Amino acid sequence: MTDTQVTVPDVRPQIVDNRQKQVLGWVVAVAGAPVIFGAFVAVKGVNPFTVYADMLTSLADPVQGQAVLVRAAVLLLAGLAVAVPARAGLLNVGGEGQIVIGAVSAAGVGLIADQRLPGGLVLVLMVLAAMAGGAAWAGLAAGLRLTVKVNEAISTLLLNFVAIDIMLGLIYDPWKDASGFGQPSSRPLADTARLPLFTTGGTLNAGIVLALLALVGVWAALRYTTWGFRLRVVGGNPEAARRAGMRVGPLLLSAMLVGGALAGLAGLVHFAGTEFKLRPGMTTNFGYIGFLASWLAMHRPLRVGLAAVLLAAIAMGGDSLQIDAGLPAASLNVLMAVVLLVVLGSRLAPRRKS
Amino acid sequence: MIVIEVLAGGVRGGTAILYAALGETLAERAGIINLGTEGSMLAGALTAYAITAETGSPWAGVVTGALAGALLAAVHVFMVVARGANQLATGLVVLFLGGGLTAMFGAAYVGRSITPFRPYAIPLLSDIPGLGPVLFDHDPLVYLSYLLAPALWWLLFRSRWGLIVRGAGEHPAALSAYGHSPKLVRYLAVIGGGLLTGIGGAHLSTAYANAWFENMTTGRGFIAVALVIFAAWHPLRAVGGAYLFGAALALSPALQARGYGFNQFVLDALPYLVTIAALIVLGRRRINAAPEDLSRVFDLTPSR
Repeated sequence: MTDTQVTVPDVRPQIVDNRQKQVLGWVVAVAGAPVIFGAFVAVKGVNPFTVYADMLTSLADPVQGQAVLVRAAVLLLAGLAVAVPARAGLLNVGGEGQIVIGAVSAAGVGLIADQRLPGGLVLVLMVLAAMAGGAAWAGLAAGLRLTVKVNEAISTLLLNFVAIDIMLGLIYDPWKDASGFGQPSSRPLADTARLPLFTTGGTLNAGIVLALLALVGVWAALRYTTWGFRLRVVGGNPEAARRAGMRVGPLLLSAMLVGGALAGLAGLVHFAGTEFKLRPGMTTNFGYIGFLASWLAMHRPLRVGLAAVLLAAIAMGGDSLQIDAGLPAASLNVLMAVVLLVVLGSRLAPRRKS
Repeated sequence: MIVIEVLAGGVRGGTAILYAALGETLAERAGIINLGTEGSMLAGALTAYAITAETGSPWAGVVTGALAGALLAAVHVFMVVARGANQLATGLVVLFLGGGLTAMFGAAYVGRSITPFRPYAIPLLSDIPGLGPVLFDHDPLVYLSYLLAPALWWLLFRSRWGLIVRGAGEHPAALSAYGHSPKLVRYLAVIGGGLLTGIGGAHLSTAYANAWFENMTTGRGFIAVALVIFAAWHPLRAVGGAYLFGAALALSPALQARGYGFNQFVLDALPYLVTIAALIVLGRRRINAAPEDLSRVFDLTPSR
């Protein structure tokens, strides 16, 4: 025993509570973005106040309210599909393609089985097929990442276009509905195999239940399971995770597969809940908007839920914009982009000082 | 001859991608990846089309289109450099911004007619059998791109200026030790890249399609981003890659015009599949060729 005094420098990390800053960022984004978008609308020669008033009054309508929830269910799943891989440090930009493949897989099963098997069973089979299809499509990108180091952001993006071409190829030829008019599409799904509606005559379907179940599942898995913990470690510092004996490759693969399965489920909800047949342009950027929802929510599952409702409301506003103000619905992408820019730019600013 | 038709179509259709890929090469050499390339192309395409429609001069269109592309790229680089935002996510948001703005302001120009760029056959050179029609019977923007690619190569690899740009991409700390500002270099490189990308978009609307419609780039910006990696961040290799994609785009209409019945979507998917295949094949070399500071952005996690 020596009595040498060792002075330990006080280097304990300070716990920084930047929650207030985050909340502030959200407020600025949500309040500031409409101002900027309003300026663009005004330049276009449309009164921004009437645009916002139209958007808000249209949301107060219960029919529109249901439509927002229908859309939010798909966006929530699409957002979770980004959030889970993001926890492991992976960028899944391929939600759009995984949704399409999910819908195609569901449609494939549905078209074969919906006349022969009871509706409930068909629905279960379609859910499984959609999730497997989405997972496989995301798994392609994960496999490329792990074997030949192709960045998953690039590969998932490129696979989106391939997925859409696969769907178009199917509905223009082998799956084409011979009795359909105008746009080529697949045969509509039998009534019994569709997602059940909450109210007869309404539009709100059981998809929202599936989405909420997925939300709770993802939230619990990330928070309470070893798998969720490991994902976070890998996402935070993969080298540390590797040295701690975690098998980083399989973890990354699992995160991507789960993400893809969630996106596939989103495809099923949209197909069996709203569209009932495959048609060109049916996914209307759900994958990309889900990507933005996840970033808006900083990849936290519960916040993804909030972001999904917010973005769904904005998008529904886009439809009323098209009807009332004569602006293309895609104009609302500007509003979404501005919200995202403010959030992306404001939240990381303090951390940059290193 | 179908081969000549497809090759000439490849040069014509690949030019827009080439401009975007050259712009992206410049930005990525300085260490910033811009997935918003597609947005810059759309901005360039619409602005060029609108200005051409209003003034009657496609050259005025190209200049303003380039500026519009640069403006969107400026949003990207500001967010990344000044605000420390994630490059890949910001790029996608910029793409949405460009797509939304062009949809909003472009609706009035759908179906408007313009006086587009006319192809100009270069005397003597265009008479060379085979090569002539493929390379020397095009619009002026194609000829400009013939000069631009070697010029960018010379600037990046043979000039002092290029050394500074590559320094910002490889080792920004060393660059600032020599008294240069990596941030300033990155601003200039990304905005300059946006200029070139805007010209690419302008070529699409005022020389290739001679029309404007919503989302008319249909993934060409993404192909350009992939092409930069495919070309291992080298401007001259990007030329070959761009024409390859252009040829893939030209093959489908050429075959259909000759009455070959087949499912065109298989061919439509080809450029994307070729890019993925190229990324796989070139995987190893690609890693070594990437600007050092840029690979930090790419390789968030090790592979195993």
